[in-house]
Amino acid sequence: MSARHDIFSALRRLRPQSHSEAAIAAQARDLARAMQDCLPPLEFSDLVENFIARVTAEKVGASVERAADWSNLPEAVARYAETHGLAKEAALQPDSRLLALDWSEIRAAPLTSDTMMAVGAARGGIAETGSLLFHSGPEAPTLYGFMPLHHIVALEARAIVARFEDYAAQEQGQPQPRNVNFITGASGTTDIEGVLARGAHGPRRLHIVMIG
Amino acid sequence: MEENANSGGARQAPPKVGLFATCLVDMLRPNIGFSALELLRAAGCDVEVPKAQTCCGQPAYNSGDDASAKRLARQVIEIFEDFDYLVAPSGSCAAMIRVHYPELFHADPAMRERAERLGAKTFELLSFLADVRGFRPRGVSCKASATYHDTCSGLRELGVKAQPRALLAAIEGLEMRPMEGEETCCGFGGTFCVKYSEISDAIVTEKAENIVATGADLLLGGDLGCLLNMAGKLRRAGASTRVFHAAELLAGRALHAIGEEKP
Amino acid sequence: MTTALGTFKDRARKALGDKTLKTALDRTTGNARVKRAAAVAAWPDFDRARAAAAAIKDHALAHFPHYLEQFERNALASGAKIHWARDAKEACAAVIDICRQAKAKTATRSKSMLGEEIGLPDALAEAGIRRVETDLAEHIIQLAGETPSHIIWPAAHRTREDVSKLFQQHHRDHLLLTEVEAMVASARHELRDDFFGAEVGISGANFLVAETGAICTITNEGNAELTTTPPRVHIVTAGIEKIVATTEHALQLTRLLVRSATGADLTQYTTFHCGPKRAGDRDGPEEFHIVLVDHGRTQMLEEMPDMLRCVRCGACLNHCVVYRKIGGHAYGGAYPGPMGAALTPIFDGLEPSRDLPHACTLNGMCKQVCPVDIPLPTLLRDWRAKSFRQGFESPALRRGLALWALVASKPRLYRAALALALPLLRRRGKDGWIAALPFTPGWTQSRDFPTPAKKTFLAQIESGEQA
Repeated sequence: MSARHDIFSALRRLRPQSHSEAAIAAQARDLARAMQDCLPPLEFSDLVENFIARVTAEKVGASVERAADWSNLPEAVARYAETHGLAKEAALQPDSRLLALDWSEIRAAPLTSDTMMAVGAARGGIAETGSLLFHSGPEAPTLYGFMPLHHIVALEARAIVARFEDYAAQEQGQPQPRNVNFITGASGTTDIEGVLARGAHGPRRLHIVMIG
Repeated sequence: MEENANSGGARQAPPKVGLFATCLVDMLRPNIGFSALELLRAAGCDVEVPKAQTCCGQPAYNSGDDASAKRLARQVIEIFEDFDYLVAPSGSCAAMIRVHYPELFHADPAMRERAERLGAKTFELLSFLADVRGFRPRGVSCKASATYHDTCSGLRELGVKAQPRALLAAIEGLEMRPMEGEETCCGFGGTFCVKYSEISDAIVTEKAENIVATGADLLLGGDLGCLLNMAGKLRRAGASTRVFHAAELLAGRALHAIGEEKP
Repeated sequence: MTTALGTFKDRARKALGDKTLKTALDRTTGNARVKRAAAVAAWPDFDRARAAAAAIKDHALAHFPHYLEQFERNALASGAKIHWARDAKEACAAVIDICRQAKAKTATRSKSMLGEEIGLPDALAEAGIRRVETDLAEHIIQLAGETPSHIIWPAAHRTREDVSKLFQQHHRDHLLLTEVEAMVASARHELRDDFFGAEVGISGANFLVAETGAICTITNEGNAELTTTPPRVHIVTAGIEKIVATTEHALQLTRLLVRSATGADLTQYTTFHCGPKRAGDRDGPEEFHIVLVDHGRTQMLEEMPDMLRCVRCGACLNHCVVYRKIGGHAYGGAYPGPMGAALTPIFDGLEPSRDLPHACTLNGMCKQVCPVDIPLPTLLRDWRAKSFRQGFESPALRRGLALWALVASKPRLYRAALALALPLLRRRGKDGWIAALPFTPGWTQSRDFPTPAKKTFLAQIESGEQA
């Protein structure tokens, strides 16, 4: 008999299905709601404020600046490059909102394994943890968030939701992307003596330009 | 907890308490038994020490010998089930009876029910005094500094944490000093400490360092097994910390610490 | 267990004598405990959340075949290929087979405890496939030729000074580094090319999401995404117990998992992977394989279902007084600490691993910190009972316990025996202490024992004394 057959026979013997699919799904929803009753509190009721507080907290360690609209992004990137002594060259995530901007100050470069700076556009954010959300796709290749040493991400303030549960509700019934990435701060590791060090394999710095 | 303090209100008939001394107290430190007896009486209980008591069976249970554990559990149930309460000056023996007896008889509904009934009225001494009897010692003084080790079974299986501290706070002159890792196991673990004595030693060595670091004159706790382990290590390490069961202090019977023989 | 390094007790003794190990364990587990405590303190309802998390895992296990089938259906629809493995051998064979078909010379690997459990590193070596561990700690122990000693920090037994030496010896630059930051940068540089040169990337999974067919990885370094995205083939190896109903459940569990592991609110990178590269994608693997492994899970569902809730956070290790003294290697299995002591008898058999459930003080700290409320002390006690029933315990211990129980169940005999024994014991005492106990030398090797009372408590009560 196949491994699949054996595994399922054992599981069905031990856990025969006693409920309808609808009843099981209803139980699952109830359990998620039970968890929603005991969540960690948000420090600020304003989602943007909470997002910024979390993502700039020491243990996450990203930086944030506010911008009025998308057109301010290229100058923010240029300023960031100057501040950090980087060449004004960046790999641009092929997001249409981002490509539509005037990048004359920044030289666009392909994403490679030694890219110093990449600019991305997040799909959304989670206020609870200060996480950026990306769905992979033609306009959002996964690796833009992982290959550069400096990752600068534009995030629309209005795209921030309070919690994971709000994200899940928003995605209910939508097709599942190939990759869903929640990015919370720059790459880090505590593998040597539990001490936090940045830039393990992914970006050493994460800078967020909050739009709106 | 089960009952409210009835200290101030109209006097009710004193509850009948069966004192389960525990085998270690019986053999090694009767003073804890007498302290428990006095405290329970002071807290308005009608206390009896059933003569047929021996051991709760925990060593067998923790060694996986369920048959032996059942034999002793049955005996404890028979001796104590007619009392209003079973009280033991030990978190681990009280937890054995309260928590593990029902598990031990999981396949025997009649015995399980008896075990559950006894379990529901079984208490560790200090939490019984504080929670059930609303007791506070009066007129006890002890000019010393002390640190408290929360013994694991009492702490995690019975929720004994605030009660001993509340009782000790009523002792005049006693200064309590918190200890680093006060909720961390001392490495006793019953048969563990002789079976894996080297690991146990490493654990109790760290514990002894933490005790000494408080600079306290006294180490207090609620389980003789753990206290023996720590006292034995402190002694071997040449530390001068004196070790008592908290009940001995509360009863004003803290004359000779563990290892200090009566002259 | 007896391994090349002897018995559990031999390994524990060796570990206890290792000063560097003590330093490394104190630093890593100490940092972990402090950070977890702070994270839990900031979540007032943490205890209720633990119960809710346990219920979420239990729900998935209650409908195990339903959800696993749903997962399979959705994963297949996303273009993933599913492989089923009853045991470690089948799981490794499935991985090697995929690697061979992909003509892989190099496979990058993102830390997966299941991979360790099934012996994947050795299987890859035997198949002649170069394995590149990309998690920093796994990289360290790969250089040292070791196995993980912790499920979250596989190199928990190594100090920064050790790592510095290893990197100086093995990294291309041969630099002597003293700062952790510099060591991390050195590893980044060293591993960079392999991320983009490997034909196959192998990851584990923290969750298998039934409603979408996605698998979830959580890392802090970003190595999982760099392992799974550039190579042509991504292989996931996962125990079937990783199943959860929904993305929401997975994220809710992650909240507790991460806080319990590192004290962070969320890992830096929490990624759901669903199928291979799609039309228009500029990156991503062309093939996406999921190897679903039983290896004792169905047996656990019958004998120890609570343990299937385990989310592998490592909190029980960091808070275990025994683990903190002997480290992970002494346990001899893929998983150390309390959860390892519960799991290893399933994987390796009870008789050779029966020391593990016994080498525990049953103090309950592991249960207290477990984010899914696994009653680890109960599970370990159950193993002891099973070992006793199956006759694995020594005849001396069995006779001793039986004799004790017999005497203790006859109160008059018991009293008489004590009346005889205590004076004999008292004679060994000097100044209130006994320096060498008979029968149990383990105690007095490192501790003194107080001289017992002249008369037992009950004897004194009997004779009306009040001391």
